[in-house]
Amino acid sequence: MRSTQLRRLRRAIGAAALVGVAATAWLGLVVTPPAEFFGNLVRLLYVHPSMAWVAFLAFGVTTLASALYLWRRTRRPAWDLLAAASAEVGVVFTGLTLVTGSIWGRPTWGVWWTWDALLTATAVLFLLYLGYLALRRVPMSEERRGVRSAVWALIAFVDVPIINQSVYWWRTLHQRPSLSIGPTNAVEVHGIMAVALAVSFVSFTLTWVWMVWVRFDLARRQRALEQLELAHAIAERLESVEAGS
Amino acid sequence: MAALPEVRETEWKTVPLARRTRRRMVGAIAAVAVILLALVGVLAEGAKNALEYYVTVQQALAQRRTLGSQTFRMEGIVVPGTIRETPEGVDFAMRYNDAVARVVEVGNPPELFQPSIPVVVQGHFDGSVFVSDLIMVKHTSSYVAAHPERIADAGGSYRP
Repeated sequence: MRSTQLRRLRRAIGAAALVGVAATAWLGLVVTPPAEFFGNLVRLLYVHPSMAWVAFLAFGVTTLASALYLWRRTRRPAWDLLAAASAEVGVVFTGLTLVTGSIWGRPTWGVWWTWDALLTATAVLFLLYLGYLALRRVPMSEERRGVRSAVWALIAFVDVPIINQSVYWWRTLHQRPSLSIGPTNAVEVHGIMAVALAVSFVSFTLTWVWMVWVRFDLARRQRALEQLELAHAIAERLESVEAGS
Repeated sequence: MAALPEVRETEWKTVPLARRTRRRMVGAIAAVAVILLALVGVLAEGAKNALEYYVTVQQALAQRRTLGSQTFRMEGIVVPGTIRETPEGVDFAMRYNDAVARVVEVGNPPELFQPSIPVVVQGHFDGSVFVSDLIMVKHTSSYVAAHPERIADAGGSYRP
C-alpha cells in the first residue's frame, strides 16, 4: 500500500472514530432509556467498560510488540516504537477508566474509591505502565532502552489477567463483567442499551487505532530526525577534525 | 605513530548539552522512583484490604467473639420492611442465608440504598448490633431498561 493510501486510510479511521464516539453519545444520552434500579446512572455504562477494554487491548499490543522486539530474529525498532505508542494510549485509557469508574462508584456504591481486588489491581496497572513510560525517558542507547522497556512491558502485562479474573478469585465490591462469553453466554444488557454498548466498544477501539497510528508515525519521524541530527553532528565533527589537521 | 590532530571545540560537544542529559537522567530516575514508591504503597494497602474484602453476615456472626470490636466489612441483603430512618442515619437488618444482623448506620446511605439489595457495610460490633459508618451498594451487572409495567420480585429482580 502506498503512503498516500495509508494516510487516507488513517484519516478514514479517524473520521469513523469521531462519528462512532458522537453516535455513542447520542445513543447513550438521548436514545437509550434509564435503567431499572440505576436510573440515569446507567449512561456511564456506555463509556466505562469500553475504555477499560481499550486499555487492555493497548497493553496487549504493547506486550506483543515487546515480545517481537525481544526476539532477536524479529527485532526491529518499529516494534519498540509501536509498543511505546500503544502503551501511551493505554495509560490514557486506564486513567479514564479509573476516573469514570470513580464517577460511577460514588452514586451507585456510595464511595469514590475502595481497596477491593479489581480496583487495586487496576491502580497497580496504571502505575506499572506509567513506570514503563518513565523508564523510556531514562537516557540510554536505543537498543538498551528497547530491551529494558520490553522486559518491563512483559512483566506489567501479568496484571491484566489478574484484573480480569479478580472478580472471580476474590470477593470484590465491583460487579462481574457486563458482557461475558462463558458457558451460559449470558448477555445481561438488554435491547438498545446493548446496541449502545456495542457501538461504544467499536468506536473507542477505532479511536485507539487512530491514536496509536498517529503516535507511532510521530515517533518514527522523531527517530529519523534524531538519526539525521546525529549524522550531521558526526559529519560536522569530522570536518572540524580534518580542518584542524 | 603520527600524533592525533588537535580537536577544536564544536557546538555539539559543549557542556550545556551534557548538563541537559544529566538533568534528564536525574528527572527520569526520580520519576521511576516516585512511581515505584506509589506502586509499593498501593500494593501494601491493596493486599491488606483486597484479599479478604468482606465477610458475610453468617461468617461475621459465627466469628463475633474473635472479631470483638475490630473494624471490618460485612456483606448481606437488606431485609425488606426493616429500614428505619434515624436522626444519625438509618437502621436496618441484613441477612445472609438464615443469619440476620441488625445494623445501625451513622451517616448518609448511598443513593441506591433500598430493600432487598446486597450491601457491604463497614464498621464493628457493639454487643449484638453492628455499628456502621459506611454502606456500599453491591449491585449486579444486569442492566434492564426501566418499564412501568414490569413487576418486581421479592429480592429486587424484575420480570418482563
